[in-house]
Amino acid sequence: MAEPNVAGPTQPLSRSVATRGGATQPLRVGVVGAGFIGQTHLAAWAAEGLPAVVHDVDAGRATELAGRYGARAAGSLEELVDAVDVVDVCTPTHLHAGIAIAAARAGRHVICEKPMARTLADAEAMLAAADAAGVRLFVAHVVRFFPEYVAARAAILEGEIGEPAVLRLTRASFRPRQPAGHWFFDHSRSGGIVLDLMIHDLDYARWIAGEVVAVHCRSASVTQPDAGVDHAVAILTHRSGAISHVSASWGYAPPTFTTAFEIAGSHGLIEQSSTTTAPVTPSLLADTEGGGPTAMAETGLAGDPFRLELAEFARAILDGSEARIGARDGLEALRIALAADESARTAAVVRLEQEAG
Amino acid sequence: MSMDGDGRAPVRIGVVSAEHVHAPTYISLLAALPGAHLVGVWDEDARRAEAAAEPVGTRAFDDLDELLERVDGVVIASANSRHRRLVEVAAEAAVHVLCEKPLATTVDDARAIVDTCVGAGVRLMTAFPVRWSPAAQALESAVRSGTLGRPVFLEGVNTGTMPDVHAAWFVDPALSGGGAVTDHVVHLADLFRWILRSEVVEVYAVANRLLQERFAAVETGGLVSMRFASGVSATIDCSWSKPRSYPTWGGLSVQAIGTGGAFGIDAFRQRLAVYGTREAGISWRAWGPDADRGMLAEFLSVVRDDREPAVTGIDGLRAVEIVDAAYRSIEAGVPVQLGAGQPS
Repeated sequence: MAEPNVAGPTQPLSRSVATRGGATQPLRVGVVGAGFIGQTHLAAWAAEGLPAVVHDVDAGRATELAGRYGARAAGSLEELVDAVDVVDVCTPTHLHAGIAIAAARAGRHVICEKPMARTLADAEAMLAAADAAGVRLFVAHVVRFFPEYVAARAAILEGEIGEPAVLRLTRASFRPRQPAGHWFFDHSRSGGIVLDLMIHDLDYARWIAGEVVAVHCRSASVTQPDAGVDHAVAILTHRSGAISHVSASWGYAPPTFTTAFEIAGSHGLIEQSSTTTAPVTPSLLADTEGGGPTAMAETGLAGDPFRLELAEFARAILDGSEARIGARDGLEALRIALAADESARTAAVVRLEQEAG
Repeated sequence: MSMDGDGRAPVRIGVVSAEHVHAPTYISLLAALPGAHLVGVWDEDARRAEAAAEPVGTRAFDDLDELLERVDGVVIASANSRHRRLVEVAAEAAVHVLCEKPLATTVDDARAIVDTCVGAGVRLMTAFPVRWSPAAQALESAVRSGTLGRPVFLEGVNTGTMPDVHAAWFVDPALSGGGAVTDHVVHLADLFRWILRSEVVEVYAVANRLLQERFAAVETGGLVSMRFASGVSATIDCSWSKPRSYPTWGGLSVQAIGTGGAFGIDAFRQRLAVYGTREAGISWRAWGPDADRGMLAEFLSVVRDDREPAVTGIDGLRAVEIVDAAYRSIEAGVPVQLGAGQPS
């Protein structure tokens, strides 16, 4: 009789390999930015049993989060960097590079939330700083840790559908509930829906079908004509000849957050939609509002993808192994996203030249 | 044969060619449709005509002129590239035409088909049954009524299995005009034009032959992006991406985005999952309304009243122009512009 395949909570990192150089002191993590993703990461680090330090320009917010997750608030970025082994950058996008580079120069390993940076030049500078300092740099594209996306890749690697040929990836949600003037809605700081939301699937398309050589994108404003793009569709041509249709939307009503993909291969097909695979479907009368400030994918009943992601990065730092996504992958995802953003603005097709390797 | 509701004589209908996979469906619907008299089926292959006529007990003709002399209207269901010649013969015989989609394999042929019918004074309708899908009508209504606000983006998926299992000509470019782009773009392109009441002004398309690699002669995977004069963008996945193991032939769905929210339709979602004795193990049995029936009823009405059909030859021509633009874009690797569209 086969063992039941029950994916229970993973062993906390603090009780497995989360020690430095065989010593007993656990990996020290510093989270910069106590916003939405910073909070998510702090919760994951806490679940891993690792001591975390948190810093935010809003000291009150850092203190509040620190209290909630058993972390310590640092009064300055320097104080945080001094106190940790790894800096986990969860700030607004345009601030990633400065913090990541400062951390690397101080000899700290860096985990950076996606998108890696606001510009390709920033991302390249981050890569160079990490290389120069001999520290590890990871970009947190969490979709690579979502079980349905992992399972699809495994099926493809097992040859179930042959060579990937036509991909359709969809991520549909409502416009984040943030006040006007929030960095999220400022294209110069966030890069908008393409850099923030679509990049998840741009990275996944590249993970599945390989390097992208041409990008076409069309976008539209739905909810607030002056507030920028909230629906976009990119069509990618991969070097292999595969083609991908990537759709990202903030045009749906709250609390919608659906993800779906269809991957057609040379002799088979994989279909997945979050609307038909939700294992729990509550419909509670008290829950009339629905949807938090920012929609987030349901993570299933076991194996929080954020926790899996951060634990994999931590293990890679501790034992020198590779994670399933490296800094170069984060940079290439950003390159595709910036091309899509450019195509949406110019109406032209943007061709990409990959560096060797 | 049956009288229509007004007690008028039934409309005499013929089916011209049974090459297309849809022909048997049309034949069985026409045989049962109130107000229709299915006179018979002609095909250049006499055995195919007999095989198509036999299930409903209608007559197989081996002389096309003989059939045309006895009917008021014909449904042309040949291989795509033969449409033009058959429409010309029917128009010459003063018979109204419902032509299978795509109207033609080239813009020149599609325009010639339209001009021929105008010149002969016969009605020309293009077989776009999706306009009679209640799901599609619900979307059109949501846009028309303002429920969806101002539409800004339409994402359509019309993917299916390889039609070569039904007829080999589908993958012979000389007869089909092309692969998945020819076969599957026109339904949604027409639906989008109808919903938006606007013409396509720009098309970008990519395609490959990685799916079902045995079909080296035509594209099997395709993605098309288009922009309408009204400013709305739309995309179509037209790929033959359903493997033979898929529980049905394919499907057609749209996600529409507007200033009023999102509106999704799936024209073939009404289905049973049947775990039966078939080798595939599972099959989907549709139980939703049959859009083909509404389309054929419209054609009967068009012939009876000698009036303009709800889907015209011009609609067929416009869809062919979009397909042509898609192929030009695939060739060029960049978006191509379409004329603003001649007035219909």
